Amino acid sequence: MTAGRPATDPTRRDALGLMAASTALALAGCDGPDEFGQPLWSRGRGAPDAASYATVLELDGLGRGVLVHTRAGHAVKVEGNPDHPASLGATDVFAEAAVLSLHDPERSRRVRAGGRPRPEAELEAALAAARETLRATGGQGLRLLTGPVSSPTLRRLIGQVLAAFPGAAWHRHAPLAEDAALDGALAAFGRPVAVVPDLARARAVLCLGADPLGAGPAQIRLARDWSEGRAAGRAAGALPWLCVAGATPGLTAARADRRLALPPAEVTRLARAVATALSVPGLAATAAHPEAGAIAARLRAAGPDALVLAGPGAGPEAHALAHATNAALGSAARRLVPSPLGGEGLDSERLGSERLGGEGKAGESLRDLVSSMAAGTVSHLLVLDADPVGEAPAALGFAAALDRVPFSLHLGPRLDATALAATWHAPLRHPLESWGDSLAFDGTPALCQPATVPLVASARDAAQVLLALLGHSEPEGGPKAGTARAAVRATWAGRWNLPADSAEFAARWEAALERGVAGEAPPALEPTPRPGWDTLRDPPPTDGLVAAFVPDPAVRAGEWAHNAWLRELPQPLTGLAWGNAALLAPATAAALGLRAGDEVMLALEDRRVPAPVLPLPGHAEGVVTLPLGGGRRVGEVAAAGRGFDAGLLRPADGAALAAGLTLHPTGRRAAPPLAPTARGQEEAPRLLAPGGSLAPPPRDASLLPDWPYPGPAWAMAIDLDACIGCNACVLACQAENNVPVVGPAAVAAGRAMHWLRIDRDVLGPAGGPEAAGRDPPATQFRPVPCMHCEQAPCEPACPVNATVHDSEGLNVMVHARCIGTRTCANACPYGVRRFNWEDHRRAVAGALRNPEVSLRPRGVMEKCTYCSHRIAAARAGAAAGDGPAGPARTACQSACPTRAIVFGDLADPDGPVARARRDGRHFLPLGQLGTRPRTSYLARMEGTAPAPPADGAPG
Amino acid sequence: MSLSTAPLARAALRRHGGTSYRLAVAAAAFGVVVLAWAVAVLLVRGIGVWGNNQPFVWGFDLIAYAWWIGVANAASLFAAVLVLRRHGLRTAVNRFAEAAALAAVLVASLYPVLHLGRPLLAHWVFPLPMTTGVWPYFGSTLVWDFWGIVSHLVVTSLFWFIGLIPDLATLRDRAAREGRLGVARAYGLFALGWRGSLAHWHRHQAAHRLVAALVLPLLLSAQTVVALEFVATPVPAWHQPRLPLQVLLTGLPAGLGVVLALAAVLRGGLGIERHIDDADMDLLARLLAAAGAGCAALYAYDALSGLVLGDAATRAAYAARLSHPAWWGGLALGALLPQLLWWRRLRLSARSVVPIGLLASAGVWLDRWSLVVDGLDRAGAAYRPSLNEWALLGGGLALFCLCLLLFARHVPVVSMFEIRHEENEREREEAEA
Repeated sequence: MTAGRPATDPTRRDALGLMAASTALALAGCDGPDEFGQPLWSRGRGAPDAASYATVLELDGLGRGVLVHTRAGHAVKVEGNPDHPASLGATDVFAEAAVLSLHDPERSRRVRAGGRPRPEAELEAALAAARETLRATGGQGLRLLTGPVSSPTLRRLIGQVLAAFPGAAWHRHAPLAEDAALDGALAAFGRPVAVVPDLARARAVLCLGADPLGAGPAQIRLARDWSEGRAAGRAAGALPWLCVAGATPGLTAARADRRLALPPAEVTRLARAVATALSVPGLAATAAHPEAGAIAARLRAAGPDALVLAGPGAGPEAHALAHATNAALGSAARRLVPSPLGGEGLDSERLGSERLGGEGKAGESLRDLVSSMAAGTVSHLLVLDADPVGEAPAALGFAAALDRVPFSLHLGPRLDATALAATWHAPLRHPLESWGDSLAFDGTPALCQPATVPLVASARDAAQVLLALLGHSEPEGGPKAGTARAAVRATWAGRWNLPADSAEFAARWEAALERGVAGEAPPALEPTPRPGWDTLRDPPPTDGLVAAFVPDPAVRAGEWAHNAWLRELPQPLTGLAWGNAALLAPATAAALGLRAGDEVMLALEDRRVPAPVLPLPGHAEGVVTLPLGGGRRVGEVAAAGRGFDAGLLRPADGAALAAGLTLHPTGRRAAPPLAPTARGQEEAPRLLAPGGSLAPPPRDASLLPDWPYPGPAWAMAIDLDACIGCNACVLACQAENNVPVVGPAAVAAGRAMHWLRIDRDVLGPAGGPEAAGRDPPATQFRPVPCMHCEQAPCEPACPVNATVHDSEGLNVMVHARCIGTRTCANACPYGVRRFNWEDHRRAVAGALRNPEVSLRPRGVMEKCTYCSHRIAAARAGAAAGDGPAGPARTACQSACPTRAIVFGDLADPDGPVARARRDGRHFLPLGQLGTRPRTSYLARMEGTAPAPPADGAPG
Repeated sequence: MSLSTAPLARAALRRHGGTSYRLAVAAAAFGVVVLAWAVAVLLVRGIGVWGNNQPFVWGFDLIAYAWWIGVANAASLFAAVLVLRRHGLRTAVNRFAEAAALAAVLVASLYPVLHLGRPLLAHWVFPLPMTTGVWPYFGSTLVWDFWGIVSHLVVTSLFWFIGLIPDLATLRDRAAREGRLGVARAYGLFALGWRGSLAHWHRHQAAHRLVAALVLPLLLSAQTVVALEFVATPVPAWHQPRLPLQVLLTGLPAGLGVVLALAAVLRGGLGIERHIDDADMDLLARLLAAAGAGCAALYAYDALSGLVLGDAATRAAYAARLSHPAWWGGLALGALLPQLLWWRRLRLSARSVVPIGLLASAGVWLDRWSLVVDGLDRAGAAYRPSLNEWALLGGGLALFCLCLLLFARHVPVVSMFEIRHEENEREREEAEA
């Protein structure tokens, strides 16, 4: 060491040594203990170079089965797994967006200490040292902090850690956890249960602050069930009845027959009044509400097909009332199952519930952890796939408490706030690269297998870190003993009671991997309300407004803030993109003199945060909805500084509802980045009363002879009665067709590129004659792809034959011929054409790109192709006899949870499209223009059978 | 009394323009540099630098195109009618009306190329035997428009050039007499060996009148085709059979206003009041006023058919146009303001005709905005023109001015041979009397 040089400064010799060491480590990583190479762990579905693999993706800790479509080893598209009960072949926006997160160039790639990159070996050494220290002390001061965990393997390993370190405890950070639901279940039944609604069966549904069709881990299945129930109702001439009471309009409220915009306290009063009207046994107090009689009559008439669902927009009292009311009604339209996020795999008798904070209420669990951290009793903290610094309520003071923890390791996919604040950070593998398992919302288990090679060499699974803590990390400890795959196999060998090396296990394991489902859902529980269940009381209403902290439709609690596809997606009801806003009722906004985009200072106790407001029709007065997850202070380009952070206001216990919010206009404008999606020519929404039908479209007079289509004539029919506006089709189209992200400025300028857009038509006082009298208004969602008109106005407009008709009736866009006159965009009355104002090719190129869809250069027009490459693949496959089975399916059609989109050959009289066109609800969009669109719609139905006579006073 | 054509030739053959001329050329040249910069930015970065979006895929580009075509049309329609009718006024104003038309067509012809998403492929609208084997689609109004603008450019330049040949010969001779052989050769090259023989005069007259006759249908077609680009789309405000007539006629004040303002500026600037005399100005101003009156009548018809006679979609679209200021600006400036020129005192004062002429022209520009932007009344982002679009608009104006300034400097602004001819006629009449 040269004299005078600080001891910490590495010499050139040191630096070279470190470089050599890290190179050696990187090389060692290639054939290290973990699996590396082609992800062919199970037999793929489809052609070898374009196969799909079954796996599972989690949302809020619960799994949705998916098939990951790979091209030449790259995961390029996520489709639903038809065999998985939480997917049934469809997807949601988060499943579709997973491939973008996987390929995110801003993913964390390095092990870091104090935010600075370090060699991996240093982390291994630090973990080994920590293990020795903790062994000596019996794990005193060791705390695990995870997100919601349903994974049997992770739960088993957590149980092993807690058993090996008697002083350790497990805590949970789950900003969207429904603690009120847990309280309600404990009050009603004395045990935690999860409600699995059966919306296919339900004939009368009352939602109390619940949004079953809204985003969430059960959304795909619930939406599918709901649409099947509706289809059955349409066939039978009696539509199911849906009433939504709650403050924040959601996707369910948009489809409700009766919508009651009520603040949470009123929702609880309504719940009690309905229970009173239904004479629910065990009620400790009665209440009255003007709507209760009619609602109770509907529920009673439906008998076992009635269902009361309480959700995050209601307090624990309403949850308990919902359980009791369902029990009194004898509702068979829901199953009660053990909570997939609690109970199983952990020996809570032996470990003690105080150590299993991860099982209980998330708010309390995190608060207990923070108080221990602040008291200095936590010496080692492992944060596994959670971002408590960024997402936990600022009032909790997690970041300050973390400074008092001497050793903290954050394992996460991104360099978020926790990654930078913890002493150590290690990159986490993306679920599409890793081994694991998961339970669906109904408890169905599924295995998670890698669908691509790991894209970040130094990333590891959560299971690996727990195994390292248990001392199983050494490769020489046994063949692949420290790998996540080995851990998952061990879990399932145990659950199936089969030796891991038996042929029987191998067969079952392979079948589970191939099918994407590892077993059956657990049997339903049949608990009855315990006597004296009615003990919970929601806090009485206070002065000021109620703040409702809700998951953001794009970023949930913030974990999706990095995902540019989700950020750019116009949010279903608000149209917001790349940001958020405080939502309030138009009347509340008018009373305060606020317009959309005015900035207000939100204040709750001593916490203040400025935010733009957005009046939203159908929002309850007296409540302000604050979407979580905005305003990240650190993170990726897509995440940092977009919107405001409602976590700065949230109470320390992480409550979803908080009273006493005040709101002061600052006088500034902070226009929320509304996505001004251009629409086509306006057309009044069509609504049909039960049994009604539309006049068949008149055959337009044309002097031109009809063009013969000897082959298939592709066409699409979109059922507006089934569409819930979930946006899955929009993202599926974006992923499938290499549609670029253009960024907030271009979106604000009206240059978004989505090939498929969803128009929102407000039905209500301003929504046209058919919808007159609806108050609050409902929203109709109308997906608009290219219409592929037979008499397409865009085609004769083009001077260079860049948009022409093909022999199967597709309106095809020849990008190479386009010179960019944009005349076709003016000629299209549906407004579906998109112009490349900039060169977006670099943003889409790379492993994420679907190689079957060409990239479009600057200056050319593009639009929906009906996924013509899929049609071509199906044709080629049929010719070769080994292609994808069945007819071509468009990406939007595959994604749709409610199967609102059907696609096929119009010339086939028994085909789905021809059948849809014979439906009395069928209509051609802008039919008066004579364009003969191949895409057509089925009108939405409104109204149900007349209500049974309302019940009188409770007898 | 005899008119000498010497001042006209002197203006062209002067070695140096005046200070104001040089300042004007410098300003216009600066504008053309701005134009060149804007075009360079446009070609390198693409039309994403404009403020267009979905649904406003067209904006300043098509507004300026339609407007410049209108200017060119009105100017050359005016000149052609004069040639064909052998009107006395023609002697004074037709030459610079033709020049204005030519400059306007030159500027207009920039836009169909520059507004493309891929401008370097503009030649694909030519029926070229390309390896792709794909021909242009001849049913597309844009292909018609391409032929329209090309024909317009060819015929307008021919019209202007044929009329210029005898005067170029005169300039050649005068320059030669002054001993400036280089200048004489330059003029001589373009004079095509004109010797002033009777056979030359005969053929010249035939050719000139033939081209003038060609101009007339072409002008109708050029403006009509621009309108058809809009009519052929199903946008309610555009999909109207009255639109070609409306675009054609409302274009007239744009061109007449520019010619009037130019005439007023030229006669003051070059000291040729005797060649563009009060009678010329009087007639031109009354023509502009009449065109304005015609436009006003057309606006009334337009509103009647748009608001009363049309179907629901037409009515809604027209009402949307009326809800924006551009329509009212077009009516006020393009149609109503020229009515002031019915007052003789205002007609004869350069201080009033220059602003009135230019404002009438600007009014037509607003009318085009009302059609292209306000007519596309759809939900979505608003259209806000960007700096590049403003630079193209201003640069286009500068290019127009520079062309006219160079024209005024280097060729006779008023037809010399026709003035001499007129002079001879008058002398003969006097002799006969």
